[in-house]
Amino acid sequence: MDRSLQNTHAKLMSRDIHRLRPSPTEANCFSLGGISWVSRVETVGTIVSRDMTPNFLKFSVDDGTGCVTCIMWLNQLTSRYFNRLDQSTILLYSRAARKQAAEVRIGAVARVRGRVGLYRGVMQITATVVVTERDPNAEILHWLECVRLGRSCYRIRS
Amino acid sequence: MSNSQIESGAPITLQELYPSSPFFKEALSLRVTGLLRAYSVETDIGVIEDGDKSLKINTQYLRDVSFRVGSLYQFIGELHIEPNNEAILQARTGRNVDGVDMNLYRKTIELLRQFLEVEEDNRNMVE
Repeated sequence: MDRSLQNTHAKLMSRDIHRLRPSPTEANCFSLGGISWVSRVETVGTIVSRDMTPNFLKFSVDDGTGCVTCIMWLNQLTSRYFNRLDQSTILLYSRAARKQAAEVRIGAVARVRGRVGLYRGVMQITATVVVTERDPNAEILHWLECVRLGRSCYRIRS
Repeated sequence: MSNSQIESGAPITLQELYPSSPFFKEALSLRVTGLLRAYSVETDIGVIEDGDKSLKINTQYLRDVSFRVGSLYQFIGELHIEPNNEAILQARTGRNVDGVDMNLYRKTIELLRQFLEVEEDNRNMVE
């Protein structure tokens, strides 16, 4: 299978994110229609739920074909995972995450980039970047791009 | 932690909402877009229109959305069909979409559906 998409953010509709199948041999690697491997995705949709905890923000994005759950970690200052980084970098990550989390509100349209993963049998995105879209045509343009890429790049249709 | 209980709102045009339409079903989750023609602060009910079609929107659950008659809005919610066969959308989310290209929106919905159907057919053939 093609591995050229593995290190890019594949632009996928929610329906297709839920159809990704985990690799039997590699962690955090998912099959897209049996043709390509992906590990990162980008989606654009309306935020329809939001649940803030001290350590993470969980929200759902509805792009008209499905809802996908996104997790944004906010524990940079307390997690041992970040110990290998210097204090100024950790602070930078923490501020960026909290600033992006504050923009996540129900009804807004957001562009989410991150790693896909399986949690309790359901695909979800661990978000690294969340940007609130101001262009009212952003979702339409994302749909068109997903259709174009789906036909010409991801699944090679005539 | 799963959000599988949240239904996605299928994007439709108001022209597709008529009694024999597959979208005209009680509790169906839909995404609708139209010009706000009227809004009552007493009842939280608004009316959006697109061309010669209109739809009532119940906005009682929406916060932080200010309504301005004459602006374009998009809502996601569940359809409720009243005994007189009149439909009303119980909105979960709403946003102002002034500046959206409605012609492009209509064409893109069609294109998206075709893409999803072709994909579905190909998937079924493979399986």
